[in-house]
Order: sequence, then structure tokens, then C-alpha cells
Amino acid sequence: MKITFDEIIIDLTPQGKSFRATIEDQTFEVEIVRADAERGRLDLRLIRLSDSQSVPESVFTAYVSSDGAKRWVTINGQTVVLTKSSGVQRKGSGQDHGSGLAAPMPGLVRSVNVVEDEPVVKGQTLMLLEAMKMEIRIQAKSDGVVKKLLVKQGQTVERDQVLIEIE
Amino acid sequence: MFNKILVANRGEIAIRIMRACKELGIQTVAVYSDADKNSLHVQHADEAIHIGAASPKESYLNADVVIRAALTSKADAIHPGYGFLSENASFAAAVESAQLTFIGPSADSIHAMGDKAESKIRMKQAGVPTVPGYEGLETEADYEQAARAIGYPILVKASAGGGGKGMRIVWEPDGLPEEIEAARREAVHAFGDDRLLIEKYLPNAHHIEFQIFGDQHGHLVHLFERECSVQRRHQKIIEETPSPLLTPELRKQMGEAAVKASKAVNYYNAGTIEFIFDPLLSTFYFLEMNTRLQVEHPVTELTTGLDLVQWQIRVAAGEHFPYQQDQLTQRGHAIECRVYAEDPSNGFLPSTGKLLQYIEPKGPGIRVDSGFAVGNEVTHFYDPLLAKLIVYSENREAAIQKMQAALKDFIVHGVVTNIDFMQSVLAHADFVNGKVTTRWVETTLDSGSLLPENRQQAVGLQSLISAALADLVIVNRQSSIVNPNVPDPYSPWKNPNGFRN
Repeated sequence: MKITFDEIIIDLTPQGKSFRATIEDQTFEVEIVRADAERGRLDLRLIRLSDSQSVPESVFTAYVSSDGAKRWVTINGQTVVLTKSSGVQRKGSGQDHGSGLAAPMPGLVRSVNVVEDEPVVKGQTLMLLEAMKMEIRIQAKSDGVVKKLLVKQGQTVERDQVLIEIE
Repeated sequence: MFNKILVANRGEIAIRIMRACKELGIQTVAVYSDADKNSLHVQHADEAIHIGAASPKESYLNADVVIRAALTSKADAIHPGYGFLSENASFAAAVESAQLTFIGPSADSIHAMGDKAESKIRMKQAGVPTVPGYEGLETEADYEQAARAIGYPILVKASAGGGGKGMRIVWEPDGLPEEIEAARREAVHAFGDDRLLIEKYLPNAHHIEFQIFGDQHGHLVHLFERECSVQRRHQKIIEETPSPLLTPELRKQMGEAAVKASKAVNYYNAGTIEFIFDPLLSTFYFLEMNTRLQVEHPVTELTTGLDLVQWQIRVAAGEHFPYQQDQLTQRGHAIECRVYAEDPSNGFLPSTGKLLQYIEPKGPGIRVDSGFAVGNEVTHFYDPLLAKLIVYSENREAAIQKMQAALKDFIVHGVVTNIDFMQSVLAHADFVNGKVTTRWVETTLDSGSLLPENRQQAVGLQSLISAALADLVIVNRQSSIVNPNVPDPYSPWKNPNGFRN
């Protein structure tokens, strides 16, 4: 069975009590020592088969939570977020706003300091957002002209929502 | 003693206070906003009263509604916690006018210390050293002249400010007008007061504060220091006591200055005198006084053996604080890490969402003060503090080790946290050697030396396999998308693909 996370294909094949996992050109044997579905906890033993020189065996505990396509995984105190996909996706497509500037977090538009067609210079503060009482400046990444204002003062915005387009 | 106390706060501190009340046999009343209907602090109280909409101004900051809730529930005292109404002198006065007890200092003390400009003037009069600077400036020209006189870099602060809000560092004259404008806007918005002061900014200073405690019969002592130099956005993230920098002689001097400063405003109940400490010259300056219980009070509790919240309640009820200065000692070492829902790789901006998993560490010498559980929502309305993880051990080295182990056992999914980041700080040679200044996080992040090392490789590989296996063997408990969070995929902190490099 093939599962893709963050463009990386993991091929899992059951083999008796354990699984054979292939990631790109590396193959591992994975044994589930313990699984606690309630807490999303897996205790795993991992043995690298394709390369006997490095990491011969590791035993670790992973906490996994799922949220739609996302998987939150904590191992040894380090947390990463992986995104499951059915096919190969261009990395970061959701983050690419072209010439637009997006909200770094959810909040309220406190002021809009420019109008459409206004020329702006790199570093100029175009908008002020407010979230958790903090002021966040939206600044021009390069010189240009305001092509489109997509939000108004007083409006609530979501994370990654495009606020303004600069040409 | 009181029969019933209303806790005018939310989250971990509300629960902390309710625990102290229960131990003293006092009934508790929680207040909550629309956003906190299902919050843990509501479940900890004997009764709960809804006080308004999610926005703090319409609930936790609304003095009239909070006092009415206390009267309706027949509480005889209000504990304000920290933040919200805790340092609002007119609230303290209004509580007393309503024939209720405000658990904290007098309204006069709050007023005198609440204003950064006024408190500086009072401290100068009392002979407590203060940072060179100016108060009461008006025109842009006044500011420019004053800034020149002090010498850059300077710090612009809201007179009515606190918690890093309305505070700006200005490095060069060019930046002054814009930063003053920004500080003023933040000040008006956060405190409804646009007065600012400016002072010399000491970029390589430590933040060392002294806990003080007094009763209403004129007895006041200090309960030693807390080192709080690990900060981002002028807000503390790691605190400890004792400070690795203080000699017994300095500790005595600073403690005496803290007592003098507090007595100058006839202080009683719990308070904190914050000092800026210059490690090169071993000099210290009064920064401000926090006229309330402090977020980091647990480290003092663990090393002095006192329950500060219980004592706050007892002295508010008129009891004597029985310990003399020479009876108080520090024992062992305590560290607190503030676990925030925020993304260190995204400028420490808060991260909101539903907690998919939340497991706190346990063990000897480990204390967790928290206000969240699995399934709770972290909203953008309130401070993103999830929990305070506090450890106690016999010395600093052992405390750091205990904290590192405890952080590894703290599992939070659904919001991005600063747990990995705090691990990097604890492991850094500067922290181990006690060389962290208040600007350290900013400069060290810029230099890249806080980035995780190669251990990322193994984690990336293991996490991919774990996630894939979990999909196969663990029944998917949450199939719908509950969070819009996407941590920055380019962040070196969160890169799961490190093993390719």
C-alpha cells in the first residue's frame, strides 16, 4: 500500500507481524511494539535493510494525530506536520500568493494605509493587522503599484488570506 | 476568612487560584465569556457566571459586569489574577466601594505603580536607582531632543503599558517618528492612554525581578529573585530562580531596594519589582513594579516553600504574614517554561485551533499549571499561553536536565507550540552558562545558531513512517478538518524531509 506525505511516497507491505517500508531508495523493517489508538501512540522498532552501515536499529515512540489530510507527529519531543496527498503536488502551492501579500495569522484589519493605483516602495507599511492585541505590519516586499485592495478596515481576516496585490 | 471568592480571570491562572481557594475551604465563582463556555476554568469552579462576548472588552475587562457577578453570587472577595483587570486601580476601588474585598494591593498603590512615568518619579524620590530617561514629553521635537540627550538606542514605552505592548526599541534617529507613532497607537488601543516615556535601552542587560510580599499591618519582605531574561517580543518565556548571576551581596542589595521601592507606595499583598541588571558593571535599575500575582510565581513557591496565592487570600482577609526576612531562604533551583501556542519560525505569531492531542508531563519535581485539555479551542481572543511547565531540583544543572526531559513528554497537536524552540534554548551554551540577555533570542535566532541540528534527519524519516503506519493501524478519530493551521513548510524547524540532505 502506497501513502504519500509531503510528496514523499511511503510503500508499506505487511510481513508477518511487522511491515516492510520503502521510502525512495531506502527500505526498512518496522515492527509495532505497541499501539494505543486512544492516545494516538505507536511504539515502533525500525531496522534499516538497505544500508547496514547507518542506523542499524532504532526504537521510538510516536504520537500521531490526524486532522483532514494533515498528520501531527511527535517523536522524542519534536513535532512535525505532514500533509497527505493522493498524487504528487507542487510543494508549497498553497503558500504561493504571487504578487499578493497574505495575512500571517487570523486577525482584524486595523488600518489600510494605501489606495489602489498608489505607488509603494519596498518596506513601506501598507496595512496594519491586529491579533491578540499585537500590531502586525504588512509591508511591501518590493517597489511597485497597488493593483488591488482585497480587504477593508475593520474586516476580520483568516491566516493566508490575500490582503493586497502589488504590481 | 472569606466564604466565597469570585475569580475574575480565565485559563491556567483562574484554575491556580481556585485550587488555593479549595485548599482553604473557600467556595469559588468563575466568570466566562462566550468563547469560554466549555473552558476548564469554568469546570473547576463551584459556580460559573456568563459575563459577555468573547472580546475581552465585553467580558473579562468589563469591571461593572464582573462586580455585578460577584454581588449576584454573594461572593465576598474578587481575585483578579494577572492581566485583564488586575492592575486597574479604578477597578480595585470599585470593588471596595461595592463592599467586596479586592485580593491585591490598595487602589492607591496600583495607581502609583501602574503608571510607568509616575512610578519612575516616585522611585527616584525614594532613592531607588532608575534607568536614565524622560517622562512627560509632548512634541516630536521634545522626543528627538530627549533621545539625543540619552543617546541611542532608546526605548519608547507606554506610560500606562505592560506586557510588552506599546513598547518599541529605536536604534537610530531616523526611526524615531514612526516608532513613536506606532507605540502611541498600540498604547491607545491597549490601554486607552497615549502618554509615552523614553529611556536608555540597555541591549545586553538581564531582567531580574524580586518577589515582594506584605500584609496590611506594615510588614513587608522580599522572597528573592527570578531571572527572566529569556524573552521574545519583550515577553518572558523561561524564568528561573535563583539567578545564576547574583552573588549573595548583590541579592541582598537588590532585595533591600525592592523592599524600599514597595514601602514607598505603602504596598501590601503580592507584588514584583522588576530590575534591569547590567552584568558588566553589576549595576541594577528599577524598571517597573507589577502590582499583582506574576505569571512566573511558581518558581518562587517551589524554592521558598510558600503558597503565594493562599497567602494573598489570607493577608487580604487581614491575617499577619508571619515570616521575617531572616527566616526566609531559597532552597534548590526552579525553572519555568511557558508553553505558548505560537510559531517560532513565523515570528512567534500565535497559532490558533483545536487541540487534537494534549498530554502533560508528569513526575517528581514536575508541576504543570494549565488551562487546556484535548478538544479545547485556542482562540485569537486571548493570550496564547497553553501551560506553564515548572520543574524543581537540587541545583541548576539538575533542573535544566529535568526540564529537558519533561518538555520531551509534553505532546501538543493541533496548534504549533514553542516546545522545540525552548529545547534549543535550554541546550544552548549561553543558557547553560547564564549568559542570556533580554535581546538574546532575537540576536541568536538571526545568527542561525538556534536552528535544530542533524537529529532532524532521523525524526523526518521516523515521522513519515509513523504517520503512514498510524493511517493503517489506528482508526482515524478525526476525519474532518478542524484546523486551518499550516506551519510554514519552508521552516527549518518543521522540515520533515531533512533526511534527504
